[in-house]
Amino acid sequence: MRLVVTGINHKTAPVEIRERLSFSIKETVEANRLFKKNLAVSEGLILSTCNRMEIYAVLNNHDGDYIAKLTSFLSEFRDIDSRQFKDRLYIHEGKAAIEHLFRVAAGLDSMVIGEMEILGQVKQAYYDAQESRTTGKILNRLFQKTFNTAKKIRTDTFITRGSVSVSSVAVKLAEKILGDLSDKKVLIVGAGQIGEQLLVYLKKNGVKAILVANRTFEKALALADRFAASAIKFDDFINSLIDADIVISSTGAPHNIIRKEDVAHIMPKRRQKPFFIIDLAVPRDVEAEVNKIDNVYLYDIDDLQKIVDGNLALRKNELSNCDKIIESASAHFENWLVKENIKHHEG
Amino acid sequence: MPSIDNFYLSLHLLSIHLSYFAFFSAFIAAIAYLIQDASLKSRKLHPLLMRMPDLSFLDKWNYSSIGLGFPVLTMAIISGSLWLNDTTGSFWQWNPRALYSLVLWLTYAVILHVRLSSKIRGRKVAFLSIVAFLIIIFTFFSNCNF
Repeated sequence: MRLVVTGINHKTAPVEIRERLSFSIKETVEANRLFKKNLAVSEGLILSTCNRMEIYAVLNNHDGDYIAKLTSFLSEFRDIDSRQFKDRLYIHEGKAAIEHLFRVAAGLDSMVIGEMEILGQVKQAYYDAQESRTTGKILNRLFQKTFNTAKKIRTDTFITRGSVSVSSVAVKLAEKILGDLSDKKVLIVGAGQIGEQLLVYLKKNGVKAILVANRTFEKALALADRFAASAIKFDDFINSLIDADIVISSTGAPHNIIRKEDVAHIMPKRRQKPFFIIDLAVPRDVEAEVNKIDNVYLYDIDDLQKIVDGNLALRKNELSNCDKIIESASAHFENWLVKENIKHHEG
Repeated sequence: MPSIDNFYLSLHLLSIHLSYFAFFSAFIAAIAYLIQDASLKSRKLHPLLMRMPDLSFLDKWNYSSIGLGFPVLTMAIISGSLWLNDTTGSFWQWNPRALYSLVLWLTYAVILHVRLSSKIRGRKVAFLSIVAFLIIIFTFFSNCNF
């Protein structure tokens, strides 16, 4: 018996190829069955996410031309010329395959190191394969071990600590400054992709009241429409600062539109309520001195990016600790696999 | 010497300790607030810091503790004065101890007033809370403790 994983991911193939080879949730169950039947493997499982497509298989020892059969299976099933992806496939066998799966499930092989979504996707792939009845003694045990190892890595290392996107960092900061966000008011001045992303995040974290201001009122209306927010006239936005708890500024203005004196002037009217100002604009919309006012916290896009970079660096530092856990878990599993193999031959 | 089982004295001792406890709790919240505020302002965020309670919670904790401690302190001063009357026949004597209790009472009265009227908030309230508690510590180790 040989345990083999073959696949492509975001490091080996561009999205044009990955999307051609990916399997939707609906297709996976059927694809698992066809794969196992056509290639006559003893166990098989397809893991397909937007960043990777991998096939785990337990082969009988005499399966010599497995890779050739697999590429033609994929080529046929996905209707894609095998030359387009053949050289992009990676192949791991035995202990390397075990380690690879552990790394994938723990998010160590992901684009954003330590992201946790992948574990759910691996679980889903396993449940799909169970439904297809294409897993057996080895894959069942391997995936149980995988889930345990991923959990251990998550709890015993700092690999998932710290936010690693500008939006999630901004939301974390908002919660640090303002506490519960559900009764807080957000004002967004100007529109931009990051600003909108941030709004999505804030809404997800409970923010209900959103005001939108834009020099072009129609744009404000359009954005307000998408977020069930209300649009206000651009000239009025300074007055709206009085009620807002969070301000996101991302206009294309060539100069500061929120100055220190504006904010200092409104703080007594706000009854000194804490104020979180996020300046996503380049050149900046908010005068840097604003941060010096009590109860006002100003972060610009570089500040947020620096925190993201710092958190990513912290995660990278944790990789060696993760590797230790993976090393011992995979050695343990490999031992079991070898014993199973011997039993298999004797039996 | 006056008897320790005087009702006013017992009430006085109990309430003074309870109020100190409340002010100590405010002091802890205030220190946590200042640390967190400074790091948020300077944008240097230690991972440990991200696990501390948020600023608005710490601010609330600070002034709520003072809000609880203040009436108890008032009770301590009144019962102390009644006890003094029982033992000496006068409600008030101008000695360091009395002066100290007056200063402490006024300090916390000012903090409560400015915070509840939202004249100041956050960092400065935390700072005042720490100063007020330092007065307690200072006098505790000087001669005019209770």
